[in-house]
Amino acid sequence: MADGLVEAPAVDSLGRRWPLRMMSAIILVVLGGAVVASSVVTLNVIRHQERLILQERTGEAAAVLGSAFASVQDSLQLLGSIAGSSPGNRQLFATAARSVLGPAQGLLVSTQRGASMRVIAAAGAAPAIGQAIPGAQAQLGRRALSTAGMVSGLVQQGGRRWLYFALGRGAGPGTVVWWEAPLSQAVTIEASPGSPFGYLDIAVYLSARPDPSTLIAATTKHLPPAGLQYPFRVGHDTWLLVTTSTFPLVGSLVKDTPWIILVMGGLAVALTVTIVEVQGRRRDYAAAQVHEKTASLQTAMAELQDAQAQLVRQEKLAAVGQLASTVGHELRNPLAVIMNALYLLEVAAGENDMMRRHVATAKRETSAATLIVSDLLDYSVGREPMLAPVQVADLISESLSVVPPPAGVQVAGHSDPELFVTADRDQLRQALLNLITNGYEAMPDGGALTVSAASAEGSAQITVTDTGLGMSDETCQNIFTPFFTGKARGIGLGLAVTKRVVEAHGGTITVESTPSAGSSFTITVPAAAMVSVPQ
Amino acid sequence: MSPFAVLVVDDEPGMRDTLAAILEYHGYRVALAADGETAFTAVQSESFDVVVMDVKMPGRDGVSVLQDMGDPPPQVILMTAYALEDRLRAAVDAKAFAIVHKPFETGRMLSLVFDASQASR
Repeated sequence: MADGLVEAPAVDSLGRRWPLRMMSAIILVVLGGAVVASSVVTLNVIRHQERLILQERTGEAAAVLGSAFASVQDSLQLLGSIAGSSPGNRQLFATAARSVLGPAQGLLVSTQRGASMRVIAAAGAAPAIGQAIPGAQAQLGRRALSTAGMVSGLVQQGGRRWLYFALGRGAGPGTVVWWEAPLSQAVTIEASPGSPFGYLDIAVYLSARPDPSTLIAATTKHLPPAGLQYPFRVGHDTWLLVTTSTFPLVGSLVKDTPWIILVMGGLAVALTVTIVEVQGRRRDYAAAQVHEKTASLQTAMAELQDAQAQLVRQEKLAAVGQLASTVGHELRNPLAVIMNALYLLEVAAGENDMMRRHVATAKRETSAATLIVSDLLDYSVGREPMLAPVQVADLISESLSVVPPPAGVQVAGHSDPELFVTADRDQLRQALLNLITNGYEAMPDGGALTVSAASAEGSAQITVTDTGLGMSDETCQNIFTPFFTGKARGIGLGLAVTKRVVEAHGGTITVESTPSAGSSFTITVPAAAMVSVPQ
Repeated sequence: MSPFAVLVVDDEPGMRDTLAAILEYHGYRVALAADGETAFTAVQSESFDVVVMDVKMPGRDGVSVLQDMGDPPPQVILMTAYALEDRLRAAVDAKAFAIVHKPFETGRMLSLVFDASQASR
């Protein structure tokens, strides 16, 4: 039964482990979800910021491009006015043109005459004066004249592509000023780190859509770059600037994002570990409490078992007492008959010594049997004491006179004549007689037996001391247990009866013994109020 | 002077026979009864100086017989192997000459019978 109790908390704690694990798992899932969600939000914020920065940078880049082309327009305006101021002043035009040619290869002024358009002034690699402008350029020139502003266009000539800007009315009515630059398929813009292009991959298209055939410049060979599309105006035309960032524009925030995630993850893990630890401690605490309760339960169980054992013992004793009572009573009649018969035999024996001796032996043994029966009945009946004042000195001398000492045993009795106890005289005398008889039997080779009494704190202590065989500690511990006997004869009820009588008087009995030196029994019973000794 | 008449009442034959032998040996005239009813009838029809009677017997017990005895009753010595209940003990104390617990010293019984017989006349 006790094993079952030990097992109980283990099952219990096992039973509580599953919900804990589920809770931990749920917490982990929630925290993981929070980390993922916060990461997504962070990345979205970063991307948004990045997009804003990219737009800003792209806007700047477009503005730079726009202003660059605006300066082309201004230059063309200036050159047109130089060429138009005087038809013969071609030298002046050529000088001015060289200062603004830059990446352009040629600058020229043309005039529309009828259906064709002819060069009237030129600088750089431009066609010679008087030459007709070819079809594709002429078309561009006519559009510039009709819009009265700068237009731009790409012209494919054989294996080469040319970028043209044409400004109408630059040098007078019907006059177009041209700016022409050759373009390879992959014009690369070299951007310094400080420029708006420094952090961008860009592609510039001479159209509103990212049409590869209209690409005029890029900072990367991987065209067209997918990215932010930013239209801007060059003269009358809408160009398109496509940009992507060459590295995360948000910088440290973007670069630190893995660390942020790592730190958040770490925090989440730490939090989870803490929660699990706290749960673990709570579980340990609960387990400790269960152990504690189990221990106290086991103690209670042990006490209960002791009490039960005590009850069983008492019940056994009661059953034995019942048996003793029955047997004792049933033996009394035959014993009485035997005594009568022995009396008659003794009479019949007359002077026959042998018969008289045997009859005497039979009478002695019958008396011993009678004593045993008396012990049995004294123990099993155990009536309530009928209390009255008893003079202890008188009780002692009476008891000593009832059982004369065997040969070789010296007897002494001492008591204060004024010492009285409230007792059932017959019972207390029986208790004392048992102690005296035991003392005699403990001295087969003779010795001294002393019965003394003294008052002590409202009690009377009556001590019976012998100088006999003495007892071992184990015997002393069991000496008052019914049916325990260390003697060859007797059924072990004498001291049990004595103890019962003493306790029925509200007293105690103790024993001290030393093997081979003797024993000392002390009865302590409440003393009576002083009673004057009858004279 | 005629010998004293003693009625011995006990359901135990051994007790009846030995007590009768002992009392007759000491000069008493002894009659026997094996149960309470017989004893009661005997006491009604015959005069006894002393009745020595067991308490516990089948049928009518010794205490009952003692209580119903007429006036003047004989001197009754009750024998018992058991403790008497308090209420019975009071009744017995009022009417019995003595109570003897079994087993008893034969000499003690003889002296009690002698004392009772002296008290009866």
